[in-house]
Amino acid sequence: MDLPAATAPAQRSPAARQTLLLGLGLCVLLLCLALSLALGSRSIPLSTVLDALVGRDTTSPDAQVVTGLRLPRTVLGLVVGAALGVAGAVAQGATRNPLAAPTTLGVNAGAGFAVVTAIYALHLTRPVEYVWFAVAGAGLAGCAAQAMARQAGDLDPTRLALGGTVLTAVLSSWTSAVMLASRRTLDEARFWLAGSLDARGFEVLTPVLPLLAVGLLLAFAVAPALNALALGDETAQALGVPVTRIRAAAGLAVVLLAAGAVAVAGPIAFVGLAAPHLVRLVLGRDHRLLVPGCLIGGPILLLAADVLGRLVVRPSELEVGIVTAFLGAPLLAVLARRAAR
Amino acid sequence: MTLTAPPTPPLLAHPAGARARRRRRTLLLCLLLCLLLALLTALIATALSTGQVTIPPLDALRALIGLGSAGDVLVVQEFRAPRVLAAVVAGAGLAVAGGLLQRLFRNPLASPDVVGVTGGASFGAVLLLALGASQLLVPLAALGGGLLAAGLLGAFAWRSRAAVARLVLVGLAVQAGLAAAVNLMIVRFPAELASSALQWTTGSLYGRTWLELRVGGSAIVVALAAVLLLNRRVAVLDLGDDSAGGLGLRPGPARLQLLLLAITLASLSAALTGPVGFVALVVPHLVRFLAGPPTPATLLLTALSGAALLLAADLTVLHLLPVHGLPVGAATATLGAPWLLVLMIRQGRTNRSTR
Repeated sequence: MDLPAATAPAQRSPAARQTLLLGLGLCVLLLCLALSLALGSRSIPLSTVLDALVGRDTTSPDAQVVTGLRLPRTVLGLVVGAALGVAGAVAQGATRNPLAAPTTLGVNAGAGFAVVTAIYALHLTRPVEYVWFAVAGAGLAGCAAQAMARQAGDLDPTRLALGGTVLTAVLSSWTSAVMLASRRTLDEARFWLAGSLDARGFEVLTPVLPLLAVGLLLAFAVAPALNALALGDETAQALGVPVTRIRAAAGLAVVLLAAGAVAVAGPIAFVGLAAPHLVRLVLGRDHRLLVPGCLIGGPILLLAADVLGRLVVRPSELEVGIVTAFLGAPLLAVLARRAAR
Repeated sequence: MTLTAPPTPPLLAHPAGARARRRRRTLLLCLLLCLLLALLTALIATALSTGQVTIPPLDALRALIGLGSAGDVLVVQEFRAPRVLAAVVAGAGLAVAGGLLQRLFRNPLASPDVVGVTGGASFGAVLLLALGASQLLVPLAALGGGLLAAGLLGAFAWRSRAAVARLVLVGLAVQAGLAAAVNLMIVRFPAELASSALQWTTGSLYGRTWLELRVGGSAIVVALAAVLLLNRRVAVLDLGDDSAGGLGLRPGPARLQLLLLAITLASLSAALTGPVGFVALVVPHLVRFLAGPPTPATLLLTALSGAALLLAADLTVLHLLPVHGLPVGAATATLGAPWLLVLMIRQGRTNRSTR
């Protein structure tokens, strides 16, 4: 074996290494996108998929499945995964808590409760109509979780996660109560609540795009300051970082991104928790890299889970939210072991 | 009913003062027990007499033993009594299981719903519903689910022993995984089944039958009796592992045995009512606040308070709220959550002040 060649990547400058890694990540993401377009509960030959994508074949049923179902589903996965991943990275950075994420903070449960209540009270039937209720519910729950965390002490991961869990427990039991009160609501909401990218189309995406854009901008803007926050509040203050304002901006970014994601796809568990951890393993702790990294890592996770859900129970499908919950629960257990050490 | 004095006499305290304190405590416990018994009787009478047809409380109590008009007897015995009994038995079971777990882990947050045991039980029950098996097997399935959750918890957190924070967080993870499984079944079910599964997972006393009670209820009573019998062991374990060993109790096996008992009790209760949230968490604290450190008498108080709390919550859901058909678990969660938060904040403060 040629030893100097094998050790060469380690000797490259950090910047080159990071570019390489980001490029690799992009390649993996492209692979996931391609798999998401090519694989599904219905077997479609690759040539037909390609024909449908470039517009050579628009009439055959297979082509319509590709352009009408798989393409929007893949794009949704890309956007939602990115939003969740970045939201998780910012939440973990701003709270200095490895367990912080939209799911563990109760944001998903808040959106779920708001949507179910809206379906019950206003007789909504289409995901496009849920969007704003999801945003409002997620926002309120996010604020409540932040207030509780501040009361219980910002620095303790257990307590923050517990606060979020309490919030989730209460909100989800209210959600069940509403669904039990009306069969129509139950039928309408149970699929949305499982978290799915299927059969939503592009139309759900348009109203939340501005939210997600603002959230992303905020996330990128606070990313450098999060590095200073990681050193402790006093040190950050001494370095000239306006701690309170940065925390508020980060909180707003998390709520906007998580709310937009929930509004599009329903409550999807653990992508926001897992993506930052995986990206951190690869890229290190610098938030200036971590946040863009999650922009790639989140969609990779979500799309991989979605494709998995289409393959494991063929010819049926598993909702992606259920797949991520099954994959994420052991991860949370492992993280919890480490965080509480 | 006679009461025994607390079993741990403070050896070094001033004898006269100690005796006076002990007498005061016995008096307090007696008083609390009487009060709770009266409250529980009043709640039972109210629950039996109110509903679509109102029956005067005394007539309702007489109808319970088969006296009075045939209509009253039918309504009380067939429709109201099973629900009331289910609330009493399951409330007692959950509260005692919670108290036992909190003592074994020496942590006020380690209740069966926080660490995922009742979630596991409802997973078992819902799985059984999904398979379309007999209702009689529900307690067994719930027990299996509860043990599964406990097993997962143990696999991830057992070796850490005292690290309760980790235990709670791992419990959270277990809960999340099981919730995903239940969610999967709810999505896959036809609508009628989904609705009854949802009822299970929120915790509800709706439509309990004598059949379920005979199986599940008697199992809970047996488990409660076992807790009472083994209570001395808990007291010995409270002294610490070294002292327990000195007193001839091997702490490892004893703790495991009691742990299994607590999990069984919680799972059986959840089989009867679904995982009604926060009863197991709140009641032991309330009792400790009112009656001081644990003794066999406070165990009895815990059981009675649990029963009274669940019954009161069910009455609230049935009659006091403007919306009908709410599951009782929604009410207990709403009441219990602020409690858990206060507890958390207080614990955080003491942690920080001792740091």
